Amino acid sequence: MLSTERGVRARAAAIVAAVAVVAAGCGSSGNAAKDESPTLVAYTGQSSDYQINFNPFAPTSIGGTGTIFQTLFFYNIVRDEEPTPRLGTQFAWNADGTQLSITLREGVSWSDGEKFTADDVVFTLDMISKHKGMNSTGYAGRATAVDDTHVTIAFDQPSFVDGPSVLGKTYIVPAHKWKDIADPAVAVVKEPVGTGPYLLEEFKPQAYTLKANPAYWGGEPAVKKIRYLALSGNQAGTTALKAGQIDWQTGPVPDVKDVEKSYPGYKAVITPVNQIALVTCSSAPLGCQGPQTDPAVRQAIYHAIDRTQLNALAFEGTGRDVSPSFLLPDRDGELISAKLRQRTAPMQPDPARARQILEGAGYAKGSDGFYAKGGKPLSLTLKTVSGWTDYITAVNTIGQQLKQAGIKLTPQQLSWNEFVDAKDRGEYQLVIDSLYQGPAPDPFYVYNYFFSTAQTAKVGAKPGPNVSRFSDPQVDQALDALKRIDPADTAARQPHLETIQTRIEQAMPYIPVLTQGTINVYHDAKFTGWPTDGDRYAFPAVWAHPDNAEVFLRLKPAGR
Amino acid sequence: MRYYLRKLAFYLVALWAAVTLNFFIPRMMPGDPVDILMAKLQQRGSGVDPSARRAYELLLGTDSDEPLLRQYLSYLGNLVRGDFGISVSDFPTPVSTVIATSLPWTVALVGIATVMAVLFGIVLGVFVGWRRGTWLDSLVPATTVLSAVPYFWLALILVAVLGSALGWFPLLGGYDVVLTPGWNADFLGSALYHGVLPALTIVISSVGGWLLGTRNMMVSTMAEDYVLTARAKGLRERRVMVWYAARNAVLPSVAGFAISLGFVVAGSIVTEQVFAYPGIGSKLLQAVQNNDYALMQAIFLVITVAVLAANLAVDLLYGIIDPRIRTGG
Repeated sequence: MLSTERGVRARAAAIVAAVAVVAAGCGSSGNAAKDESPTLVAYTGQSSDYQINFNPFAPTSIGGTGTIFQTLFFYNIVRDEEPTPRLGTQFAWNADGTQLSITLREGVSWSDGEKFTADDVVFTLDMISKHKGMNSTGYAGRATAVDDTHVTIAFDQPSFVDGPSVLGKTYIVPAHKWKDIADPAVAVVKEPVGTGPYLLEEFKPQAYTLKANPAYWGGEPAVKKIRYLALSGNQAGTTALKAGQIDWQTGPVPDVKDVEKSYPGYKAVITPVNQIALVTCSSAPLGCQGPQTDPAVRQAIYHAIDRTQLNALAFEGTGRDVSPSFLLPDRDGELISAKLRQRTAPMQPDPARARQILEGAGYAKGSDGFYAKGGKPLSLTLKTVSGWTDYITAVNTIGQQLKQAGIKLTPQQLSWNEFVDAKDRGEYQLVIDSLYQGPAPDPFYVYNYFFSTAQTAKVGAKPGPNVSRFSDPQVDQALDALKRIDPADTAARQPHLETIQTRIEQAMPYIPVLTQGTINVYHDAKFTGWPTDGDRYAFPAVWAHPDNAEVFLRLKPAGR
Repeated sequence: MRYYLRKLAFYLVALWAAVTLNFFIPRMMPGDPVDILMAKLQQRGSGVDPSARRAYELLLGTDSDEPLLRQYLSYLGNLVRGDFGISVSDFPTPVSTVIATSLPWTVALVGIATVMAVLFGIVLGVFVGWRRGTWLDSLVPATTVLSAVPYFWLALILVAVLGSALGWFPLLGGYDVVLTPGWNADFLGSALYHGVLPALTIVISSVGGWLLGTRNMMVSTMAEDYVLTARAKGLRERRVMVWYAARNAVLPSVAGFAISLGFVVAGSIVTEQVFAYPGIGSKLLQAVQNNDYALMQAIFLVITVAVLAANLAVDLLYGIIDPRIRTGG
């Protein structure tokens, strides 16, 4: 016993000594690469090791979308502008929206040297329609190559609104590499061959590195290396940010108001994109239960929320105005209907209005200070996810604010899985969540996803994104009409957009809270050219693709 | 012989029960993998088309209406063949690959840390027990306080002090990601350097238990007649302490050590979270958060088998060490 114990102790001492030596060694070797162009270190929020897969069609693809594989066009969802040409240079619809003609860029080659042609585009689109598991955009066209640089896609129905997902979200892959893959939907792509500005340099489960493509058709990008790190989550991301170990992260950080002071060399930009809303299970005919099925209750809540206080307490002031029309005031300002009662939701509460609405709907205040109707108290539960600290603060704050308006709100924290399940089944009264935008800067998508009957289902069955179970024939009709109108014809679209806006302001299945600011923190002292409030050339989020590739293309190492 | 057979049979039944629970419990979780995947992609706000749900259902094969019993039987069959299936959260990587890449990190880190904690604890415990009544006794409350402090808090404090403020150790990760993993000095050195702080937190927070146990055993062993006899024979103090008292006092700790080795595989989810350390703990968390049944099952299975195997080893060893156990009950 004695001898072994001694032996182990001696070995332990040796290990400690070795560590000390290594520690000293590490310090000196760390700065060796100073002369080279700096590597941009990005953290996407990946919360465990990477498993290699650069298949752009896999839901678990770890990256390369935009940087290695490119789309035909780039749609900027944060600014109302025309799509930027990428692999395509021009596109045009026929009058009824059943045929899309695309002109492709000449002189583009794949990173293995082969030429990029219309056959690659047709191959990619055919592959998606053949393998249903890859068709995540509902593509239903038939593509044909006219010649090497022209492709036409025929659709059975007017498909203007399907354009952006084909043109802006479908990554084109090389036919000569992919045609021999038996089942491309489940193929693991380890050596991606693309047309994009970057190539895969090396992969490790803890990090992978992209290097600039010297043969890129747009010219070799100025940022030569990009490394994506795998950490354990946003907490670790913040620690790494504080230590200056990552250059780009998107997500809440402590002390966001003072990023430049707390993280020297870094800047933050806040982009309002997704509307935070109290999602209500709104439709009694589809099986929803509870007081929130009454539009008056939803309206009263809308007026009783003190958004200024909420923004300060829960969101560190990063929230922005929200419109009851669910248009983005920054982007869609011109589209917001003049017929709306309110262009944006009031930042100050209006308890008198809330009271008037409730009393008009037959509610009466009881001795406990809460409203009731027919003996049933106006009491609601609001679900959120445990661990989502900003939303938890928000629901508690809203609970206090509604109490003053005579509405009893009980916040409830669930696990993430339970929360998702409750939304899907419709077994909730209110949840706090955010709405999201489509593939183009066009409000059609947010309406189609969240307000159409096609995207909902009875309580108990699984709906699309429309978990509020909102169903309104007028809105459905307007959406149908919009599908048949060329998005370029804004005058023809406006009446339909206005119908939807006024209908959803009245019904209010989603009670608008604020527009969530996506917080983007970047190392401004190391690289220049980041998207800012003044120049939103892409959605500034490290995980948004292909937006991140647009950012990489514009960045330059600082001081060069 | 009958003793060993009975033990083996017991462990087989335990294994079957564990494997079965392993199958059913994850499936009682609300939601299914596609829901979670969709919600996760949507959370990013980068516009997920509603048709994606159907595509992913087809892709991940979650739309099958196969009855649970049939799924269970094919699960058992696959287990026998060593086929754990495909991970949904790292689709389409086989679960065995996911585990193979993450398990070594955990076994190395938590394994070494556990061995160190046990050695420190036992050695200190023997010493403190031998010198009972001196100032050394204050080590007992001191180390147990450290064990009682919530682990994540202790770890964060150490990170803040040793990593952030003093900069002695790296804050995050398993190695400097510039290096290539392999059997080269740079990488091994970096991995060792990155492992020190996480290992230190594990040692600090668990050494107290071992120290306390050994110290108390030591105190009661020292009251035994054979220790008195050894002293009466005029043996050197050191010899009495190590060969007569400590040798008997550490026996229960040895059994405890074998069992705690089994739990090494389970990793330390919190350690891996705090230090962004690669390992099985973070994969388990990922599996649970994504309703990744196959990955969850496989990781639980590895943990269960490790714990059962460690217990079996202790049982069998005890049979050899102490013949009374073999014939009793």
